[in-house]
Amino acid sequence: MIPFQAEDAIHMTVILATLTPLVAFLLIMLGTRARKNLSAGLSLGAIAISFGCSLLLLARLWNVREPLEYSTRWVALNRMEIPFGFLLDPVSLLMLSIVTLICLLVQVYSLGYMAGDPGFSRYYAFMSLFAWAMTSLVLSSSLLQLFIFWELVGLSSYLLIGFWYEKFSATQAGKKAFVMTRAGDVSFLLGLILVLVHVGNPAILEMNSLDSAGLMPSGILTFAALLIFGGIVGKSAQFPLMTWLPDAMEGPTPVSALLHSATMVAAGVYLFARLFPFFALSPTAMGIFLFIGTVSMILASTMAMVARDIKQVWAYSTISQLGFMIMGLAAGGYFAGVFHLTTHAGFKALLFLCSGVFIHTWHTNDIFELGKGGARRLKIPVIALVVAAGALAGLPPFSGFFSKEAILAALALSSHPVWLAAGLLGVFLTAYYAFRVLCILLFPPSAGEEPSGPVGGLAPAPKGSRQEGSSRTFIWPLIILAFLTLLLGFFQGPLQHFLLGEGKALLVDHGEQAGWLPFTALFLSLAGVGLAWAEFGRCGAARLSFVERIPFLRELFSRRWYLDHFYHFFVDRIVDRGFSKLFAQNDNRVIDGSIEAVSRGTLEAGRFLAFLQSGMIQYRLLVSFAVMVLLSLYFFYRDSGGF
Amino acid sequence: MPGVEIKGALSMQIEIAGFPYLSAILITCVTGLLVILLLPEERKGEIKWVSAGFSGTTLLLCVYLFFAYDKTRGGLQFVEKVPWVPSLGIQYFNAVDGFSLPNLLLTGIVFFTGVLTMWQLQERVKEFFALYFLMVLGVFGLFVSMDLFFIFVWYDVSLFPMYLLIAVWGTTRKEYAAMKLTLYLFAGSALLLPGMIYLYVHSGLNTFDITALMQPGTFTTAQQKFAFPLFYVGFGILAGVWPFHTWSPVGHAAAPHSVSMVHAGVLMKIGAFGVLRVAIFLCPEGWQYWSGVMAFLAAFGIIYGALAGLRQTDLKYVIGYSSVSHMGIVGLGLSTVSVEGLNGAVFQMFAHGIMTALLFSAVGHIYDRTHTKEIGELGGLSRVMPVASFYFILAALAGMGIPGLACFWGELVVFIAAFKVYPVRTVVALLALVVSALFMLRVVQRTFYGPPNERYAQLSDVSFSSGIPRMILAGVLLLFGLYPALLFDVIETASIPFMNGLPR
Repeated sequence: MIPFQAEDAIHMTVILATLTPLVAFLLIMLGTRARKNLSAGLSLGAIAISFGCSLLLLARLWNVREPLEYSTRWVALNRMEIPFGFLLDPVSLLMLSIVTLICLLVQVYSLGYMAGDPGFSRYYAFMSLFAWAMTSLVLSSSLLQLFIFWELVGLSSYLLIGFWYEKFSATQAGKKAFVMTRAGDVSFLLGLILVLVHVGNPAILEMNSLDSAGLMPSGILTFAALLIFGGIVGKSAQFPLMTWLPDAMEGPTPVSALLHSATMVAAGVYLFARLFPFFALSPTAMGIFLFIGTVSMILASTMAMVARDIKQVWAYSTISQLGFMIMGLAAGGYFAGVFHLTTHAGFKALLFLCSGVFIHTWHTNDIFELGKGGARRLKIPVIALVVAAGALAGLPPFSGFFSKEAILAALALSSHPVWLAAGLLGVFLTAYYAFRVLCILLFPPSAGEEPSGPVGGLAPAPKGSRQEGSSRTFIWPLIILAFLTLLLGFFQGPLQHFLLGEGKALLVDHGEQAGWLPFTALFLSLAGVGLAWAEFGRCGAARLSFVERIPFLRELFSRRWYLDHFYHFFVDRIVDRGFSKLFAQNDNRVIDGSIEAVSRGTLEAGRFLAFLQSGMIQYRLLVSFAVMVLLSLYFFYRDSGGF
Repeated sequence: MPGVEIKGALSMQIEIAGFPYLSAILITCVTGLLVILLLPEERKGEIKWVSAGFSGTTLLLCVYLFFAYDKTRGGLQFVEKVPWVPSLGIQYFNAVDGFSLPNLLLTGIVFFTGVLTMWQLQERVKEFFALYFLMVLGVFGLFVSMDLFFIFVWYDVSLFPMYLLIAVWGTTRKEYAAMKLTLYLFAGSALLLPGMIYLYVHSGLNTFDITALMQPGTFTTAQQKFAFPLFYVGFGILAGVWPFHTWSPVGHAAAPHSVSMVHAGVLMKIGAFGVLRVAIFLCPEGWQYWSGVMAFLAAFGIIYGALAGLRQTDLKYVIGYSSVSHMGIVGLGLSTVSVEGLNGAVFQMFAHGIMTALLFSAVGHIYDRTHTKEIGELGGLSRVMPVASFYFILAALAGMGIPGLACFWGELVVFIAAFKVYPVRTVVALLALVVSALFMLRVVQRTFYGPPNERYAQLSDVSFSSGIPRMILAGVLLLFGLYPALLFDVIETASIPFMNGLPR
């Protein structure tokens, strides 16, 4: 359909990387839905090709400094041209590799996780749809094209959250996710139109060049930046559009791992990084972004501290970590934000996949239940979970430590110390809630009190302690991601070189780093871990967090700061029972009412006239007589000058 | 209008260039109608095959025209001109341009798929298809005619079978709906007639030829300002312009499925097309004068339709209100007085037509099986009828403006064009995107998701053969969603010269 003509080998590779998942999606939808293994094979094959292509591209373009752009005519309107193109530069190539790698691992993992589900083929079809939309989003060369795939990614998210469509809560969550992100997308679209009107062309490279400052008045530029950021707020579940993400955990766990932690929600942050030079043109906007990121990070961390559902904890943690990335980017730490995006994708996917093993084995999401059930017996998932939680908490050998330090360093150089203080508070809270979960899982009361070791005191796990947790499709993705989490931190140097070139940092010079900062951060992390252990881990611990001792805070946190109440009120009272009811009634009463009044009036008038024409002689005589009387009276008075 | 010689407009010559494809479409409809009338009532199967055959032929002709139209030359093509009543200046004048061509294609597609959708009909088959053909004949005639008088005649031809089609074969409150709809639409036509006579008299040209009447200077600015609202409201009623829209949900809901398809898919486009072809072509200065009001009504209609749709409990009412909202987008595009706006509006006409046809077609299948359209009584259909659900959900996604499906492009281009002229009204209209997502997803959730309903456990899904019309519609949505240039390139051949020719 789209006249693709590859210009060279690289272009060919890019097309192959993005299009194979689409082909897989179409094939599964059209033909192979009845044949489960074939569907899964198609999808896996496609994403494997995609991953191979992205590695090839990464290797090929590792040292190329200038961004490469390919574009084909797609839609050309009078004064508006919408090309279909690919933009290859370090940040897009890095993101492409992350996306395809995690897609591949999660799809392998899903072979076991989704086995036996009646919608197995449909699952892989949607996964391929997502892979296509996400890879195309990452490589889009113009903002409009990015927006198109942004919407398609949202669609696949909707479809996958509501994958178990017979479950009410799942369909409800899917709807909520779609509508809330849609609200952000409308803002994004408006910003896009503003850019289109002023710059004339939403090509990303053109927007990022300094010319756009000349083409747009600074007020408009700030406004456009804020509107586009609205899209980021929706997609990355930032304040105030944050509550859809925890609900989205209704989807299958691999979906949560892929879409709602590692890649799709990170698309918002990616867009920030993508348009970083453009956003940086407006310091006011950057200040507001910093504020939103901070608020989201703190709010979500507090919510995570009281959640009992393991997936919800990680969902809040995702929001908080995305907020943290946005803080880093908004403070000017371009590399710091992107680096944390990279490491986070790895360890957060790992957290979810580990949790998935537990959930799959014990059929519950409750951390206390899982702990009692004997989660600690699954050796490899537990080790992987420890690695991932360590990374999340920012403990040294793991990747999260390095990227967190980079963001804190950027915050230290920002305009006001309050941001750094907030960042440090976030570090403490994160370490605390991550290890709270870990302690609850690993040191359940029975195991802690009875010295008989891992299997002691265990009631038989509900629905059998099927040892599916150790099947191969589950284990290999975990091992790979765990190694990645262990090693990625040590590649900070090469990555920085790849992203920024010859040591030129954008906006902020990382040279003058405060020496005390890493130690403080590390100390706070350890304090968080220690507190969690003291409350949940050690023998005879009260298993009650300090937050739960204060009823007000517990209520506030577990009710998500009443954000959902507000939205519920808004949709139910203002939209549904307010405007919608008003308009529907207006249609019935005012508009139809007046129309019916007109028609009834016509009918009545007709009836009256028909009555006059009824041909009954006495009425005619009566009327004639009355008219004659009136006329004679009239003439009488006129002639006598009565008028 | 470049590419057309206007010199013959007053001299009334017969001009027929090549094979008269446009007349061939009309004649096909008429022949089909006659054949159906001649067949005996009992031979239901044959009537259906004949209907499918003739409607299929018109579709082929439309597709041929769409691709045979010379885009590099643009302008009016396939011109056929025969004097009809020379003393009054009435001509049988048919031609297509970039504005009518998409609508012609749309009509062909919806006509054919509508016949296939009604394949299960058992009751008064002959009369149904006869009236159906008559209605579509009027629609085809209106889209190809370039003579004001004929436009008016075709308009009424297309409307009057509607009354019977709804009153006889309809469902919910059918007599009421049929009467309401007919009165509404003929009220519109009561505005059109004086407007038409007014222009005819004041032009002093003694012709109904649109190409002649649209020459700059034919009407004074004051005359245009006066006549424009007559046509705008007269045709706008049919396009569901707020606040003249209440016939549309009621009428959609009551009509039989294929009539709903043609009704929402094509008849509403007649209204919008009439605004474009008559009001905007003949009174461009009136258009510029009234455009702000048009934009206000359109933007308000977009958000109003979406919000009012949120509370509906009948599947077809929901679609009816979504049509009000979507046709508002067409109106918003027309109100921008710009090339992009016209492009987007015509694209949206086409896309919306296909989308609603698919929605109604899917609902048709569901209603035939479950015998209810109440959303509250449905639920869990996805398990029982995955294919029917798939088509409905696909069309609903298109209605929400998901990229990759045709409606996205219409909406996008209209919003971009409108934002340049009316930023505030556009922002208000954009909010409807969120609301329409909410109500479409609500309907999808309550109808198709949830635990399977025991009552419907035995129902059959769309079979392959009965899925053909839906397949065609879904394919068209995807085709133009992925490659919109196919349609935009055609529309531009009309919109750019038209806007360039406007007096500034």
